[in-house]
Amino acid sequence: MIAAEALYKSYRRDGVPIPVLTGASLTVGPGEFVAIMGASGSGKTTLLNLLGFLDLPDAGTYRFEGRDLSAAGDDALAAVRNRRIGFVFQQFHLLDRISAVENVMLPLLYAEEDVTDGAGRAVRALDAVGLAHRRSHRATELSGGEQQRVAIARALVNDPALILADEPTGNLDEQSGAEVLDIFGRLRDGGKSIVLVTHDRAVARRADRILRLERGAIVPGSAE
Amino acid sequence: MTAASRARLLRSVRLSIRILAAHPLRTALSVSGVLVGVSAVMVMSAVGSGAERRVLARIRAMGTDLLVVTGAPAPRVAGRARQAASVTALRPADADAIAGEAFLARAAAPGVTRAVIARWEGRNVPTTVMGTTPAGLRIRGIRAAAGRVFDDEEDRQRRRVVVLGPVLARTLFGEVDPIGLELRLGSVPVEVIGVLTPRGTDVAGADLDHVAVVPLETAMRRLLNIPYVHALYVQGAPGGNLSGLEAEVREILGRRHARRSGTPEPFVVQNQSVVLRTERGTARAFTRLIVATGLLALLAGGIGILVTMLLSVRDRRREIGLRRAVGARTRDIRLQFLLESVLVATTGGAAGIVAGLGMTVVAAVLGPWDLVIPWRAALVGFASSAGLGLLVGTIPASRAGRLQPVEALRAA
Repeated sequence: MIAAEALYKSYRRDGVPIPVLTGASLTVGPGEFVAIMGASGSGKTTLLNLLGFLDLPDAGTYRFEGRDLSAAGDDALAAVRNRRIGFVFQQFHLLDRISAVENVMLPLLYAEEDVTDGAGRAVRALDAVGLAHRRSHRATELSGGEQQRVAIARALVNDPALILADEPTGNLDEQSGAEVLDIFGRLRDGGKSIVLVTHDRAVARRADRILRLERGAIVPGSAE
Repeated sequence: MTAASRARLLRSVRLSIRILAAHPLRTALSVSGVLVGVSAVMVMSAVGSGAERRVLARIRAMGTDLLVVTGAPAPRVAGRARQAASVTALRPADADAIAGEAFLARAAAPGVTRAVIARWEGRNVPTTVMGTTPAGLRIRGIRAAAGRVFDDEEDRQRRRVVVLGPVLARTLFGEVDPIGLELRLGSVPVEVIGVLTPRGTDVAGADLDHVAVVPLETAMRRLLNIPYVHALYVQGAPGGNLSGLEAEVREILGRRHARRSGTPEPFVVQNQSVVLRTERGTARAFTRLIVATGLLALLAGGIGILVTMLLSVRDRRREIGLRRAVGARTRDIRLQFLLESVLVATTGGAAGIVAGLGMTVVAAVLGPWDLVIPWRAALVGFASSAGLGLLVGTIPASRAGRLQPVEALRAA
């Protein structure tokens, strides 16, 4: 599904380059649930952003579904994010003033093809996370766990091959976190590849494989 | 545009409407700026056109095929003004000469006017007495609404008859039918034989209905006791050109009023078509000026949208980041902010037209101008607001489009 080789990424602060990733390499197969663990500032989120084409590496190669997209333009990358990848963020990133089902429909807005049954697809995605009955509620009327489940439904609405989750349980209580992880387990069983970054070992244990990120690189032989 | 991109645009428009509706206060503030601008353009334009129409109507009431010859202002002699304000050389025979000799003249008539007190049963009303011939009545479009006007015989015999303007008749006689009654103009008793049709006011704003019209000879010999006339009214032949007629009149009068070379003509020829053109030009310049003021108000509304949209981009950075994450292209983000700007501006434009129509009606009722529905201003206002929305929308749109997804998602 994905194969990253020696990814480098640095950011500039006050003109000084600050290295974040210093040669991270990893592969994730189809239907595999991989957790990436690391301390704060180890580069977990930066790695996830590169894997999801939200950002581009300074050096290294990254093949997604067998394709190297390093030369692809903004439109092509946007299309990949839209159709093949679903994002789940720690902060949920729901739009407050529209309903749950409208939030889930957001990716359909940018679909290449003419979406005919958008609302139906969104409701089915909400049903998959057990929230079809809350479809008309606004984000502000939902609990944290429910908001994250809406965000997962939004990630699923275009039936992507890969789910990228950045500390998805970081803002949730234990029970809500467990519900979210159960959903990820079911999605993996349904054949989706999942990459989840976390600093919480208990969360990481739900994955098939755990990789450790330290000082910008995956620690060799860290897979558990 | 493909069916898919059309569907995409439609979805974007729907979403933009939802987003705008979800922020009612922000949207209302942005809309109100343009609303005020467009309604200002409309009302200003309506007031301008209404005033123009009224001025033109007054000129037309005088007759646009008309030349008015008056005595030139009296020259100062040894630095002292003469007793008479203008040269007193014009005679009734000048009108006959013009009517007889000018090819381009249909008719010509002399006229005199003076302020006078009209008296009836203890009421004293200051008014204007006007003396002219029956031909003068026809040229000036003076007709009786009740009773009759005088004829040539009555003029020749200096009969003491009068036709009253409707306002004077009402002021002096109230509800009483004045026809057949006798009133005094100054100290001269005259019999009312008719009441005129209403004519409104002239260009200078003088009330053409507050007037007592008597035969020319009666006015000159019995009321004013003067040998000269104040004005000659010359009507052009149908389809003829007034400038040619003006040249003819100058030639005829110049011949009849010999003067030393180098001295100015003792008369002034006023061409109504020139007056019309000048007044129309003035009115249009005035209209353009106030419409420009309205457009400035519209521009201020546009700046309001710009500021609100820039704030909106700042407030919605995380939303922009999320949209990029779920598949929005840079141009989708730009389009969305552009759409929101245009939607706000056109909503303001449409609301401005409705408000402008209402205010136009109120302004026409309250102010001294005619009701003119300014459809062109409405169209210009709406088109300007859409253009303005597009124009000011490009700045926030490009700013939103430049935001990198990662950076936008990190925003607090």
